[in-house]
Amino acid sequence: MTNAAVHSTPRSGSLFSQDQRTRRRNTAERRFRIYGQAAIGIAMMALVILLASVLGNGLSAFRQTFINMPVTLDADVLDKKGNRDADDLKKVTTIGYSKLLLNSLTQLIEDQGLAIEGLAASDIKDMISDDAAAQVRNRVLANPELIGQTVSLKVLANGRIDGYLKGRVSMESAERDSNVSVNQLRLTDEMMERGLIGKSFNWSFITAADASELRPEAAGLGVAILGSAYMMIVVLVLALPIGVAASIYLEEFAPKNRWTDLIEVNISNLAAVPSIVFGILGLAIFINFAGLPQSAPIVGGLVLTLMTLPTIIISTRAAIKAVPPSIRDAALGIGASKMQTVFHHVLPLAAPGILTGTIIGLAQALGETAPLLLIGMVAFVRDFPAAPPEGLFDPAAALPVQVYNWTQRADPAFVERASGAIIVLLIFLLAMNAVAILLRRKFERRW
Amino acid sequence: MNVMRQTDDTTATAEIKIAAKGVQVYYGDNHAIKDVDVDIADRTVTAFIGPSGCGKSTFLRCLNRMNDTIDICRVEGKITLDGEDIYDKRVDPVQLRAKVGMVFQKPNPFPKSIYDNVAYGPRIHGLARSKAELDEIVEKSLRRAALWGEVKDRLNAPGTGLSGGQQQRLCIARAVATSPEVLLMDEPCSALDPIATAQVEELIDELRSRFAVVIVTHSMQQAARVSRKTAFFHLGNLVEFGETGQIFTNPRDPRTESYITGRIG
Ligand SMILES: Nc1ncnc2c1ncn2[C@@H]1O[C@H](COP(=O)(O)OP(=O)(O)O)[C@@H](O)[C@H]1O
Ligand SMILES: [Mg+2]
Repeated sequence: MTNAAVHSTPRSGSLFSQDQRTRRRNTAERRFRIYGQAAIGIAMMALVILLASVLGNGLSAFRQTFINMPVTLDADVLDKKGNRDADDLKKVTTIGYSKLLLNSLTQLIEDQGLAIEGLAASDIKDMISDDAAAQVRNRVLANPELIGQTVSLKVLANGRIDGYLKGRVSMESAERDSNVSVNQLRLTDEMMERGLIGKSFNWSFITAADASELRPEAAGLGVAILGSAYMMIVVLVLALPIGVAASIYLEEFAPKNRWTDLIEVNISNLAAVPSIVFGILGLAIFINFAGLPQSAPIVGGLVLTLMTLPTIIISTRAAIKAVPPSIRDAALGIGASKMQTVFHHVLPLAAPGILTGTIIGLAQALGETAPLLLIGMVAFVRDFPAAPPEGLFDPAAALPVQVYNWTQRADPAFVERASGAIIVLLIFLLAMNAVAILLRRKFERRW
Repeated sequence: MNVMRQTDDTTATAEIKIAAKGVQVYYGDNHAIKDVDVDIADRTVTAFIGPSGCGKSTFLRCLNRMNDTIDICRVEGKITLDGEDIYDKRVDPVQLRAKVGMVFQKPNPFPKSIYDNVAYGPRIHGLARSKAELDEIVEKSLRRAALWGEVKDRLNAPGTGLSGGQQQRLCIARAVATSPEVLLMDEPCSALDPIATAQVEELIDELRSRFAVVIVTHSMQQAARVSRKTAFFHLGNLVEFGETGQIFTNPRDPRTESYITGRIG
């Protein structure tokens, strides 16, 4: 009787109108959604601004100004004895080639009737990059039958001229700049009209070595890319097997006691140690104690290995932990040994997680700068390291350090190059992440 | 204890395969199995019943030393297989587990093909000298698990793609493939529907002709249907052990009676 009475008069109101508590809960949920959307919005905006600024500043580094001109490779200058002997050819320095280029350009200006009032010979000479002579020389040494011919070449223009084409240098700034004259810019205008000077894709930005402060137009990333690649090889070869072995041991074999707890805590701590500390460690151990050379990718690789190991160990252990225990029971239950259980069943199932962790670790290592500064990777390196394994001991640069290096230089032409280097770095990182995703897809299995 | 001795006499016909004497199991400070004596007869189905948490699985896992994988677990007492102490220092548990196979509560096929699931055991134990021999073992095991007809056309399909009942029979085939002498089953039907359960029970009845089968079950009907002998566990004690018929119709211990009539558990 009493029951029936309770049912006939509901305590709360109609279902069609929300009570206060429900309203409050719904508002809270709406508020939370807005927070989330705002957070994502801010993150996306930051990303867009970052990419826009990097691309805006850096894309121009991939295009460089060249002068299209016929160059007379005078046999009297380049090969006085006329025997095309390689050793004799090498005796002609870049100064000789530089004169040839000047003569050819002067000739071109005369032929085209480009009369600029007050244009000095030195103005004409400075239109051409100091590096151009070396480039032409290398080309002739590699290909001696060019001697005596007049070949049409794309000769690297001076960085200031390049800056003029890219809007970095103007007539006004040229008046205040001792490195470029207004007359040169006028000449550039004339030459542009006739198609004698223009921008084209600059492979040597990716392949060439770094150049000095005075020749931003010739600076490239070749040595840095090689150095970074070598270090990644060292990290992969050392950190992956060591990290995976350590994780398997800790996760599957080690007794669970105070010591392994301590090790576990310390691995987590290591992952949080500032990278510069690893640099100091590397300097002390690998260079001062073990006597390895400075600026060498092997040392960089070892330091980055130490840094990457905790990342790999933590992600590998997580991946191993995520393998259902029932799979281990199944294998042990039919008489597989612990080792067989781990290698036949647990590792294949953990592989996607391990690979993802490894690649994330590698990507971190690729972008790491601070520890490399301490072990001398910041040095100015013009020579390409040899092929590995010997090349691992040759001096080299690294991509992020090259970025840092270029941002430190006075000439504004290096700003564009630093951004260009960041683009290259980002492309490598994107490629690595893409590989991680692909591998994950390939190895992922359901159970 | 005396009670158990008496019931033993009636089944003295079967040879003793596993003899457990004074077995104690501790998980840290938790005394999970208290002084249990059980004899498992060869070519017979023995059922372990009892309320949940009473130690059935724990005791079962002692019989193939799966408890070794649990760090805090300590086993005392003596368990012999064909008269050899399985906890002897010279015994490699890996070798023991090849002789004493196990089927788990939840079907746990490897995420590999049906063929590889069954072939894994023979491969690691080197039971087949050629591909043809391995094929034969796989077929024989799948037939024995009453699964051959359903999967013979898709041996390369993943084992995890089968239905729950088929997966459990695949796990039985996998356990049978290593030619064990004893088969331990820990609630093999608890994750299965009634039809799959009936199939597995039928299978157990056939397996009995070759192996000593020990089955843990929380279903008394199941114990009654498949087993010849039944052990009733309660709070880590073995309360009663005897002929299944006798346990269910005429229990000697009041606790057994309460459990069977639904008053404990
Ligand atoms: N891995 C383990 N670690 C600690 N205690 C356990 C573990 N497995 C089982 N136990 C304990 O042992 C007792 C018996 O468990 P179990 O053998 O699983 O019972 P049953 O299979 O009869 O339900 C329980 O009290 C349980 O808490
Ligand atoms: Mg259990």
